[in-house]
Amino acid sequence: MFESLKNKLNKAVKKITKSVSKKEIEKGKVEENKSGIFSFIKEKTISEDDIEDVLWELQLELLEGDVALEVAEKITESVKKELVGKKVKRSTDIDKYTRNALKNAILEILKTDSNVEDLLKIKKKPFVILFVGVNGTGKTTTIAKLAKYFMEKGLVPVIAAADTFRAGAIEQITKHGEKLGVKVIKHKKGSDPAAVAYDAVNHAKSKNKDVVLIDTAGRMQTNMNLMEEMAKIKRVVNPDFIIFVGDALTGNDAVEQAKMFDEKIGIDGVILTKADADTRGGAAISISYVIGKPILFLGIGQNYDDLIEFKPEWVVKQLFT
Amino acid sequence: LGKLGEKLRKSIKKLAKMPIVDEKVVKEVIKDLQRALIQADVNVKLVFKLSKSIEKRALKEEPPKGITPKEHVIKIVYEELTKLLGKKSYKLKIDKKPYKILFVGLQGSGKTTTVAKLAHYLRLKGYNSAVVCTDTWRTAAYDQLKQLTEEINVPMYGDPNEDNPIRLAKEGLNKFKNYDVILFDTAGRHKNEKELLDEMEMLSKEINPDEIILVIDGTIGQQAKSQAKAFSERVKIGSIIVTKLDGSAKGGGALSAVSEVGAPIKFIGTGEKIDDLEEFDPARFMSRLLGMGDI
Repeated sequence: MFESLKNKLNKAVKKITKSVSKKEIEKGKVEENKSGIFSFIKEKTISEDDIEDVLWELQLELLEGDVALEVAEKITESVKKELVGKKVKRSTDIDKYTRNALKNAILEILKTDSNVEDLLKIKKKPFVILFVGVNGTGKTTTIAKLAKYFMEKGLVPVIAAADTFRAGAIEQITKHGEKLGVKVIKHKKGSDPAAVAYDAVNHAKSKNKDVVLIDTAGRMQTNMNLMEEMAKIKRVVNPDFIIFVGDALTGNDAVEQAKMFDEKIGIDGVILTKADADTRGGAAISISYVIGKPILFLGIGQNYDDLIEFKPEWVVKQLFT
Repeated sequence: LGKLGEKLRKSIKKLAKMPIVDEKVVKEVIKDLQRALIQADVNVKLVFKLSKSIEKRALKEEPPKGITPKEHVIKIVYEELTKLLGKKSYKLKIDKKPYKILFVGLQGSGKTTTVAKLAHYLRLKGYNSAVVCTDTWRTAAYDQLKQLTEEINVPMYGDPNEDNPIRLAKEGLNKFKNYDVILFDTAGRHKNEKELLDEMEMLSKEINPDEIILVIDGTIGQQAKSQAKAFSERVKIGSIIVTKLDGSAKGGGALSAVSEVGAPIKFIGTGEKIDDLEEFDPARFMSRLLGMGDI
């Protein structure tokens, strides 16, 4: 999924190298004239002027890759900080420094302390996970995938059909449950989602199940009533983990969404869906930086197995090798 | 959005104070404008095309009497953007019977809900409308459309046990041939799913629709252009509906889709409820996109 971003970064490194080394040669000539001694060793200190224009281009390239504006600015800023004042002797140095600066900037942005295994380790029983997100990002399908993920680890999940609003939502999750052999706790359409979630947690307690996955209705992060409803579910079931499900096709709004959900509900981790639709990976780089929470998985298709773990090192490897 | 609008207004204020609008000032304003549009998810290449023509005009054209340089540049920006969207709003015209509408779009863009919304809208306008579910992929797609159409009292055809969308379309076509409008819901698909695109093309051939509506999620980013292109290469998109504009998204991705497929936006979705569908107003969309209030 990072192919396009990778090309953009490579292009940027080349441009920066070219721009700096062009000026390097000019400067080298001046020194030669002054001293009157012919010298092959040229040294050049990278100045802000050298890279100003190329960094602007880099920023645009990042934006085109769906990297959110504030993150694109942060990346170019840290590249600038690392390059300006550096003494370089040959153009390969510039290439190396730029590549490193970019790599560090992106790792810095993706860095979190823990991995999926740790985060989703069952610390208590049942381990209650609440799913949130705007409409149509893929919450219900992701829950089915995660139910399978837990089952493969030998854990028994139960699903709460707490999207009691959207037409067909209860049927959709029920059918997933049937296919996977997972119990789905449900009420009638239109009933109180918090009550469904509460029942599912109680069911898990009495039947000694390991994980409760709570599906919720999609809601716009700007809809205060629905955000209130979500806060109520949270109060009632006191989840151990809250997962924000975001659509990788989303542009700058992805960051807005994650920010608002984090502010109003609190997010512990992120799952990005539809990463198979040839997305540029910008949302993946932006979201975790803005809310400071890790991305756990990428959804890469419509089947239950289409879920891969997300690691910062993996992303950097995709981008720079 | 607010922050961006602020940035823009600031640079425009700067521009207003200048006795002459010189190249440097215009370039600065253009840079801010580019940033605003890109953050609103307008395709980067489109932004450059746009800003180039804005820059050219801003430097060349004399502001008419009584108009300050500032107002003049804003006017140019507005005009150039309007060129993309069209000045007037395009209405849906039901000019034959039955009028067959096929809905297509990416997964989760809001097709099914929009189908029900439009069926409801048409019914209120006095058209006898019916809905056909051809989505055999998504779990409980049938149930969703059934519940929605029951709510609005519109007949719906589908069969949760049938796995051939072509057969479903054929059946539905036959069943509702005496209705004024037939709306066909389809499964979500994206440009890398070749088989699903083949299926869409076949569906379109079977139905021979009078109008194909591309449903676009208002939050979509830079992918909008290439996705819209993939759809329009397979079927002829006649109009666009942009959904989920009740959130914070500015819908710039949709703008890119419009310019890519060359079809007008006819409606926007502004919520989950059945009547959260509005006829599209280019002027309002534009000011939202730029974060400038009413221009």
